[in-house]
Amino acid sequence: MDTLLHGFVTATARLGLDYRFLLDDYERVPFVQGLGVSIEIIVSTMTASAVAGLLLLLALRGRNRLVCGLARGFIEVTRNTPTLVQLYCAFLVLNMLITQWLHARGIDNPFKPFFWVVLVLSLHKAAFHAEALRAGFDALPSQTLEGAASLGFSRATRFWRIELPLALRAALPALVNNMVELVKASAVASAIAVGDVTYQSIMIWTQRDNVLALMLLILAFFGVLTWLVTLAGSWLERRYRIPGYGY
Amino acid sequence: MATDSASPAGKPAGMRLPPGIYGVVGIVAAGAALWSLAPEAGSRGETLARLVEWAPALAHGFAMNVLISIGAIFIGTMIGLLAGALAMSKSFAGRLARLWIVAFRNAPWLVLIYFTTYVFPFGTTVPFPDWLKVMLGLALPASANIAEVFRGAVASIPSAQWEAAASLAFSRWQILLKIVVPQCVRRMLPPWMNVYAIITMGTALSSLVGIHDLLDTAQIASSTVARSSFTVLTYVATLVIFFAYCYPISWLTRTFEKRLRTA
Repeated sequence: MDTLLHGFVTATARLGLDYRFLLDDYERVPFVQGLGVSIEIIVSTMTASAVAGLLLLLALRGRNRLVCGLARGFIEVTRNTPTLVQLYCAFLVLNMLITQWLHARGIDNPFKPFFWVVLVLSLHKAAFHAEALRAGFDALPSQTLEGAASLGFSRATRFWRIELPLALRAALPALVNNMVELVKASAVASAIAVGDVTYQSIMIWTQRDNVLALMLLILAFFGVLTWLVTLAGSWLERRYRIPGYGY
Repeated sequence: MATDSASPAGKPAGMRLPPGIYGVVGIVAAGAALWSLAPEAGSRGETLARLVEWAPALAHGFAMNVLISIGAIFIGTMIGLLAGALAMSKSFAGRLARLWIVAFRNAPWLVLIYFTTYVFPFGTTVPFPDWLKVMLGLALPASANIAEVFRGAVASIPSAQWEAAASLAFSRWQILLKIVVPQCVRRMLPPWMNVYAIITMGTALSSLVGIHDLLDTAQIASSTVARSSFTVLTYVATLVIFFAYCYPISWLTRTFEKRLRTA
């Protein structure tokens, strides 16, 4: 392993890239941990955003007009403001207020930056998921819906057993695209000092001034992740394609 | 809404409140609730006076966001149209253009901004302001997205037009520039505006590389005044300003899209 690393470092040094930090335990270990943290953020956000997206969709399609209006408003705000500003509003405002309120009562704030990043990114992507799913519902063939209604399925059964599975399949390409965007957006975690890969890289390049070398490493990391997500997406699309539709 | 019931399928036609109204009401209500909960060092009126005091600085910061976004979309459109046109050809340049599009569509924007700010060998001979570097950093993903928009618009023109024009002895570039592109402009407008709105939101990232944009100014303001209630106000104001700029764009985009679909 060590000889491999040494070989890599000397080989890249000839190209003018400085990867010497890989040989230093004090820098390599945090960097590798950063890779892990990034993956944790991405995986938790994917899960949470799927759940939140479904909840938003239920709110949008529900019969309660107030809930529907609130969900619509939430989606519009989320889609039309920068993620970073949302993150700051959550972390620097909400988290600060919670910390102060708990501090007055002698309790430590249990919410860590990691939690806020996952929360904000999940809600952000949930808005996009809900929009994609809504388009999926709009694309449902009306004959299927009428057929289901005429067979006497209740509203709830129709939703869970017929409409949602079909809409999910129709929305799959858009959902996969959202997931790719999510992977890319996870880099903002570094803004509030969650120890993700971008943050650890900033720490290293302020010491060593080897921005380009680290940048290529991060880009490769995100490139591999987006590629994996796209791969999983196309597998799902093939697996769950609606027979008789598409090409 | 008595007039709505006349329209078919229960969909209200004509003037209807855009859903963004709910959004504005929501932000303001949530902001007011947080503000009332925030501990207050002085009086509420004084905090508001401080916000008014900082308003010009915040406006100046937002002008920076607008400047960066306009520059980025301008450069991005130029490169994007070129890359999109090249990507349609089978030549080596076409392959390069497709590589460009894939690379910059899949890279995190923040990393690209760090890249142009710290890596590009600017500023060693000619002074190169940081905001220009961020502008270039955002122009890269913008160009990739616009190239895709362009490709999509060209793909929506029936290929029979290409064949018909070719039989009239137009060259491929002539067909593209004189026949296809003029028809594409209208179709490209909504997605192009969409890219612009996204780029504008991306400009908030410039605060992370030390540009004095709106978000950076808000941070400076909140740490200078150092009051919880003021912090709540500034960040809510930041959110509202971005929303007030980006929402009308996306609303217009949707209106144009609807008009195109019915046309």
